[in-house]
Amino acid sequence: MSADRNLTWLVARREVRERAKARSFTVSTLLLLVAVAVGVVLPALLSSKPAPMHVGLVGRQPAAGDVVHQAARLTGVTAAVVHEPDLLTARRDLHDGRVAVVFVPGHEVLLERLPSSTDRSSASYLVASALAELDGERALLAKLPPQVAASVEKGASLPVRGLAHSTPGPSLRAELTGFVAAILIYSLLLSYGMRLSTSAHEEKASRVVEVVLAAVRPSQLLLGKVLGTGLLFGAQILAMLVVALGAGEASGSPVVQGGAPGVIAVAAVCLVVGYAFYCTAFAAAGAMVTRQADLFNVTLPLQIPLFLGYIAADTSTFAGTSLFGKVLAFLPPTAPVVDPALYASGDLALWQFLVSAAICAAGVAAVAWLASVVYARSVLQAGPRVRLRAILARQTA
Amino acid sequence: MLEVKEVSCSYGRTVALDGMSFEVPRGRVVGFLGPNGAGKTTAMRTVFGLVAVTSGQVLWEGHAVGRPDLRLFGYMPEERGLYPTMKVADQLVYLAELHGLGPRDAATAAGHWMERLGIAERAGSKVEALSLGNQQRAQLAAALVHRPELLVLDEPFSGLDPVGIDTMSEVLRQEAARGAAVLFSSHQLDLVEHVCQDVVIVDRGRRVVAGSVEDLARGEHPVLEVRVTDDPAGTWAGRLQGAGTVLGNDRGTLRVMVAPGRSQDVLEAARAGGEVELFAYSRRHLSEVFRQAVGQVAR
Repeated sequence: MSADRNLTWLVARREVRERAKARSFTVSTLLLLVAVAVGVVLPALLSSKPAPMHVGLVGRQPAAGDVVHQAARLTGVTAAVVHEPDLLTARRDLHDGRVAVVFVPGHEVLLERLPSSTDRSSASYLVASALAELDGERALLAKLPPQVAASVEKGASLPVRGLAHSTPGPSLRAELTGFVAAILIYSLLLSYGMRLSTSAHEEKASRVVEVVLAAVRPSQLLLGKVLGTGLLFGAQILAMLVVALGAGEASGSPVVQGGAPGVIAVAAVCLVVGYAFYCTAFAAAGAMVTRQADLFNVTLPLQIPLFLGYIAADTSTFAGTSLFGKVLAFLPPTAPVVDPALYASGDLALWQFLVSAAICAAGVAAVAWLASVVYARSVLQAGPRVRLRAILARQTA
Repeated sequence: MLEVKEVSCSYGRTVALDGMSFEVPRGRVVGFLGPNGAGKTTAMRTVFGLVAVTSGQVLWEGHAVGRPDLRLFGYMPEERGLYPTMKVADQLVYLAELHGLGPRDAATAAGHWMERLGIAERAGSKVEALSLGNQQRAQLAAALVHRPELLVLDEPFSGLDPVGIDTMSEVLRQEAARGAAVLFSSHQLDLVEHVCQDVVIVDRGRRVVAGSVEDLARGEHPVLEVRVTDDPAGTWAGRLQGAGTVLGNDRGTLRVMVAPGRSQDVLEAARAGGEVELFAYSRRHLSEVFRQAVGQVAR
């Protein structure tokens, strides 16, 4: 390991050790883990006695109701049969949400919208599929001699159709996962950003930075701090993931089990990119002030885009994505928070996300350069808050 | 040897250093003196590249100070710089490692200096929990822990009790004796006179006097101590008329810097004032050298 890298690693190791030893870190980690566990388990507890799924039944075929109940049992839900007078009424009920599935024995099974090929875990789709299989098998068995019927394991199944023939929309669970991811990314980036600001400010205010910078370069100190804090950040995320998966598995929570893997992968990338984008900027901002009271003001320009991203993610999930929201999905300061929600709601295609990630990577490089200049030129300057314009106009020590 | 050559720098429109020059040879303890705002702290910070200089050079062993050199230097800033919530021992080990020591050597050195400076029993305490004096000791240990070749200490004696001052003085002498170059600033002139071999006096960003303590005490002009009966205010000095300059009045004994070849004139002036109880040659005090150098000679 070269001397320069060794120095950076020494700084990072100190950050990890000191921060991890702090009671505030232990308490905040425990609280986060408890919050994650509660957030995962609560929906499962609330849905432990689910309301019966309403299945519209068209026609008066004998035993068709039994098939509905059998399909429901196979998929772990309870069903209430709604006898529909005709197909037209059934389709209207399906469209209006009065029934989740329409079963036309011997012909077809209808859903409001067919799920995408990667997310077919919704209860209504599972029931519809089971109905299609069971009814197809029943129809086949009725036509065969008993000895042949006994050897048939599977019969032909009915078609499952959606009322909407356009591209399938996202599942509610995927959208929920995207929104929760956006909240988490926003809170974690803000929390760790402020932690880095406070750390840089404390070093400056206590003048220890003068002693440290007599041995290491400002860029090494900044990189070490960011790296050390990033390691803690990663460890905390990993712990949260383990708790979330464990709690989700144990409780059968829809938050985890229904979360589309694609959305989770996008969220993970956003978390890394977001930390890389904001970490150096927050640290540099902290180095610009000597008084703790100035910390909030100096970091406000960094907090605003984060909050804007959160608002855009919230709006996208609950009210649809506006053009403004789509634009924010490509801007490095807002994209890490917005993208998971937009991707989950189907308003950001994979290729668009990749373009956004590339733009963010360029943004990370630019911000890291600017932040290292600001940090080097302001961390040794005592007195009142240093202005960005004055810093950029000045030569470093 | 550390050489600061014609270094200038400014804070906005305020000139902090205006062609500052001085030297700190290995094996010597150099006192760095000057009134408040004279540029002492800024000059020390230039050694570590903590201040952007507009002209001049800082040399170590004949070459411009670079990153590798800085790891051989020890620095104790005026406004103490340690992590408030970090344990003393951890902090010393960390700083030693930053200066190139391996983990085992760093731990050994930290233990040695905590023992030497009397803070071993506070090794596990956070710095913010220490008394001011012990914080000072911890700060000195931080500057010494990597066995520096150049030691730059800004006001190291402020806040120390007499025992602490004795320990600190002894440590500085020992560091110089093992071959380190030691530079420290202080306003405690008697202490500087006692501890240092050389002195640099600065004012308004420039060096105004430099030399060995011995040479400066001897001075270019002799100093007389004169005491006249029944004239504790020293009114007789009004008759000196250029024969000498009063440096100070110590309870009726006037210290007079004599103009070349005017000792007899001083004696005559004293006799004219009354019976002369004391008339003897003396060394110049460092405080007198300082006041004269910065233009504040007693009149």
